[in-house]
Amino acid sequence: MYKVKIVVVCGSGVAMAMHAAYKLREYLEEEKLYVHIDGSGNNELPGRINAYDMVVSNSQVTVKTDKPIFSAIPLITGVGEKELVEKIIAKVREIQEEKNSDK
Amino acid sequence: MGNINFNDENVNQDELSIEEHLILVKEKVTSREEIIRKLGNMLFENGYVKNTYTQAVLDREIEYPTGLQARVTGVAIPHTDTEHVLIPAVAIATLENPVIFNGMGMPDTEVEVDTILMLAIHNPKSVVSILRKVIFILEDDEALTKMRFAKTKLEIKNIMTNHIRSLANK
Repeated sequence: MYKVKIVVVCGSGVAMAMHAAYKLREYLEEEKLYVHIDGSGNNELPGRINAYDMVVSNSQVTVKTDKPIFSAIPLITGVGEKELVEKIIAKVREIQEEKNSDK
Repeated sequence: MGNINFNDENVNQDELSIEEHLILVKEKVTSREEIIRKLGNMLFENGYVKNTYTQAVLDREIEYPTGLQARVTGVAIPHTDTEHVLIPAVAIATLENPVIFNGMGMPDTEVEVDTILMLAIHNPKSVVSILRKVIFILEDDEALTKMRFAKTKLEIKNIMTNHIRSLANK
């Protein structure tokens, strides 16, 4: 099974990406979706983005990319969190299926 | 920050100071700069941060604003790079009247903020466990409401420490 790679981004990397990443991992594991999650500071993102399938960010993503981007804010405030998590779960499944059928 | 290595979850966790001398209640200010300066001075005068901290928080707030619209109210979590911090702490303020912060991840939006959690973090991995519990108060409607209406520093300290304790098993 292909392991979807997600990068969670925050401004300078002082722990907020980590908080969002831990929550996201818990939600995905409940769905038996095992993914690879890294955290990144916004400044490092341009050099790293190609290694990932999906970006979840609490700052504006300025690097040009066709990768799916989700806001991390609902994971911090709880407002709109359920809807966000449903969208991310659907996207993770979609990427998994694509990658598995490529093989 | 580099990679989140989940195997590091068991690294020794440091305390995050939540003390009455780092709390302001129903403070009367007219701008986000004013409240950031007040909280920054408290952290500096009590030895938690270097004299560069407050300006670094103000500068970062422009590039990466920290206003967050929770269900109960607008909360801001101003912070900055670890190099400006000596001892990890959270300075807390509630405001008599809200001030405008720009939205985290949405710099063009404005959030009316009346509760501020100013973070002084020296090593994210060493405080991630307790820091996560502090941030979870944004989703705890009851605790956040109590904090907004608290009348004393001690009350605010107790609300936060009880909230953290209630998550002890998470």
